[in-house]
Amino acid sequence: MIEIKNLSFSYLDAEGKKKSENPQLNRVNIKVAPGEFVLVCGPTGSGKSTFLKTLNGLAPNFTGGVITGELLINGVNLIGAEPYEFSHLVGYVNQQPEGAFVADIVLDEIVYSAEQLAISKEQISSDVARLSKLLGLEELLAAPLATLSGGQQQRVAIAAALIAGAKVLLLDEPTSALDLQGASEVLALLQKLAKDEGVSVLLAEHRISRVIGSVDSVIVVHGDGSVTKGKPAEQFNDSRFAPPIIELGRSLGWSPLAMTSSHAQLLWQKAPAAFQPKELHQPTEPVLEVIDLAVSFGSVAAVKKTNLTLFGNQITALMGENGSGKTTLCWAIQGSGTRTTGSVKTSAGDPKELSVQERLAITTMVPQRAADLLFLNSLADELYESDTFAKVPAGTTANLFQELAGRIDTAIHPRDLSAGQQLALVLALQLVKNAPVLILDEPTRGLDYSAKRALAKQLELVRNAKRSVLLATHDIEFVAMVADRVLVLKDGQVIKDASSFEVLGSGEVLASQIAEITNTPGLITIGQVHQ
Amino acid sequence: MSALTSNRAHFFSTARTHPGAWWLAGLALALSASLSSSLLILISISAGAMLTVWLCRDDAPWSRSIRFYLFLGAAVVLMRVLFRIIFNLADSSQDIFLSLPSISIDLGLGNSLHLLGAVSCLSIQAALVDGFRLAAIILSIGMANSLANPRKLLRATPGALYEIATAVSIAINLAPQLIASLKQVRRARGLRGHSKGIKSLTGIVIPVLEDTIEQSMQLAASMSARGFGRKGNRTPLQLQLTRAATFLTLTFLTVGVAMLLFSPMQQAADLLVIIAGLVFAAITLKLSSTRTSRTKYIVQRWQLADLLIVTVSAIILTAAFSGMFSK
Repeated sequence: MIEIKNLSFSYLDAEGKKKSENPQLNRVNIKVAPGEFVLVCGPTGSGKSTFLKTLNGLAPNFTGGVITGELLINGVNLIGAEPYEFSHLVGYVNQQPEGAFVADIVLDEIVYSAEQLAISKEQISSDVARLSKLLGLEELLAAPLATLSGGQQQRVAIAAALIAGAKVLLLDEPTSALDLQGASEVLALLQKLAKDEGVSVLLAEHRISRVIGSVDSVIVVHGDGSVTKGKPAEQFNDSRFAPPIIELGRSLGWSPLAMTSSHAQLLWQKAPAAFQPKELHQPTEPVLEVIDLAVSFGSVAAVKKTNLTLFGNQITALMGENGSGKTTLCWAIQGSGTRTTGSVKTSAGDPKELSVQERLAITTMVPQRAADLLFLNSLADELYESDTFAKVPAGTTANLFQELAGRIDTAIHPRDLSAGQQLALVLALQLVKNAPVLILDEPTRGLDYSAKRALAKQLELVRNAKRSVLLATHDIEFVAMVADRVLVLKDGQVIKDASSFEVLGSGEVLASQIAEITNTPGLITIGQVHQ
Repeated sequence: MSALTSNRAHFFSTARTHPGAWWLAGLALALSASLSSSLLILISISAGAMLTVWLCRDDAPWSRSIRFYLFLGAAVVLMRVLFRIIFNLADSSQDIFLSLPSISIDLGLGNSLHLLGAVSCLSIQAALVDGFRLAAIILSIGMANSLANPRKLLRATPGALYEIATAVSIAINLAPQLIASLKQVRRARGLRGHSKGIKSLTGIVIPVLEDTIEQSMQLAASMSARGFGRKGNRTPLQLQLTRAATFLTLTFLTVGVAMLLFSPMQQAADLLVIIAGLVFAAITLKLSSTRTSRTKYIVQRWQLADLLIVTVSAIILTAAFSGMFSK
């Protein structure tokens, strides 16, 4: 279906010359068969998105750059062609479907591509019927896109990508913004599309632990220009992106490595390993109290009357499905978000009543769109401004940033940093403010496992300084790694408030992969297993 | 973000009406305003446009852009009056509205420039009429922009005008997008704080522009990846002919409307040019529909509400042309 021969791709530098010393993709040779389900992975910033975009002409036509080599799709060489020349062969779905929607109503959105390609009305009708049945969208065809859940929107985007008859489907992190249920629905569908419909599916994902058991092969974009393809078991030598199941198998010397949870369960039962009990940190005094807080938008109650207390020396995870009110609650606690009723008590008073400066001395927050906080023209300026604002010795922010993201040339424009690096920068800016409460909203989107470990280390340092961290996230494995306590939010209400090994333990809805495999009370994360 | 759930479902709601109806109404109101010199009528047109938006708008991103137009309209009126007071042209009228000390600046060329001084009621009224005329035009276009769903408008556009309509609809989308990201970025800025040396504007403008451009690019990339821009199976000659006809249509219509606006006296000539434009429009549509390169799977039909909107605006426009709006 896809045959890539000697494909190279380079971005251009400011003078319009090829950055030849480190091409993004260097002489790549790969074949993908019809109906093959392929996982595309690699460390943060390695170029997974760029690789996918070269397969439908978005790179270089929308990204700039130079492409050479051969790209045969269905036998036709389409190297360098405009994206519309691919539209009947390749469907493309990106991370945030809402930004890529061209219509307002589900049906209009689905048929767009077929209309552009002048497919007959009769054909479109039968394709719509077939795809909406397959993707479970039959009831939703007349619904406005804005009213759908994230998972439903992704399913619409997949139907829209396939309507023109594409036999290759490219998906760039389609589940990174979805909750557990939405993500598993989308993944199950992709598997069905590959198996039953013969569609070649190329899926770029960071949350690979749940996909790895169902893919046929794995493409790794290494970040040095090389791209390799092979069986899942052979492809995870790099621990920067190896999921917990592989790490577990490797540290226990399983051979062959288990790829599915059920296989791993068998191997664990045969020879369970010793593990350290999860060390929960003793919370110190309360630093922030939420009293009868409620938020509603018009007639919609986003957060219902909530009472909770955050303690020092504690990392609290806030979990729950999309739309359960996590983000709204974070903003309301921080003080700049809307509140309908209720108050928040801290040592300096209610953050809502404080000035921006006073509020930042009590609560700092890293929002979902971290890049919105960056506004200067170079990394150096951002770091300097941060030191000045926080009245800390020059270089404090820079040191912190380097611990999180490694050494980076400070002349670079903050907009040219990768998403993971931008997050690290914003985190550093907020950490130097030294507020007793740090709130993070979905901080692990797009981070590989090594970046997550660096983030976890920083959060542990914050906790050890007797401060409190509130972490809103879908990322179960990350919560298992760092959190002491988990709050579960449903329809705007806290329905669970317990220690992390209770909420993420085996048999629970939010069970971590290690808990699922080992079925051992108190064991939830790979760090606990003796090597 | 909270979901865009709208509980409002009016007869004239933007979910049901044809976007073309709102644009026809907006253009008709703007044209009427440009032909009027009565303050009362201009204020009525502005208020009418605002009221229509307030009654009919949905909770959609583009509906919020009306605030931007309202602000622009108010600024225009204010500027007009302010300029008239500063660069006061003395007239013979005895009715003095405002008496300010006069400043004379000798330009050394025999005459001097007079600023401020006694401002007559008449000149204030003239400034108000000028200001409100512009404001009424701005608000009429703003009404169409806030009520017409740009994506539906794009869908309803005939194939031959598709490329142009796309550019226009992406441009129309820009204003609401700017407002949405402005809100988001301003909220995020409160999370960072800034030291005294940093201008607060820098912190807003850069992320907002970046965000807006990125979103437009994402939409364009998505459209392209899904087949937009394909030339279909028309021959090069057909394409050339269609393009030429499109060009002639737009030229004749633009020139015709411009003539009508700037010299409403030679109505026969204006009408002739506009009719020529319409003839070319028909030819263009015929040419492009003979071998279509796109399917229209969903056709937006004109409904009773749309006809009502167009009829009312036609009546207003007729009144304006018959001189009822000028004193």
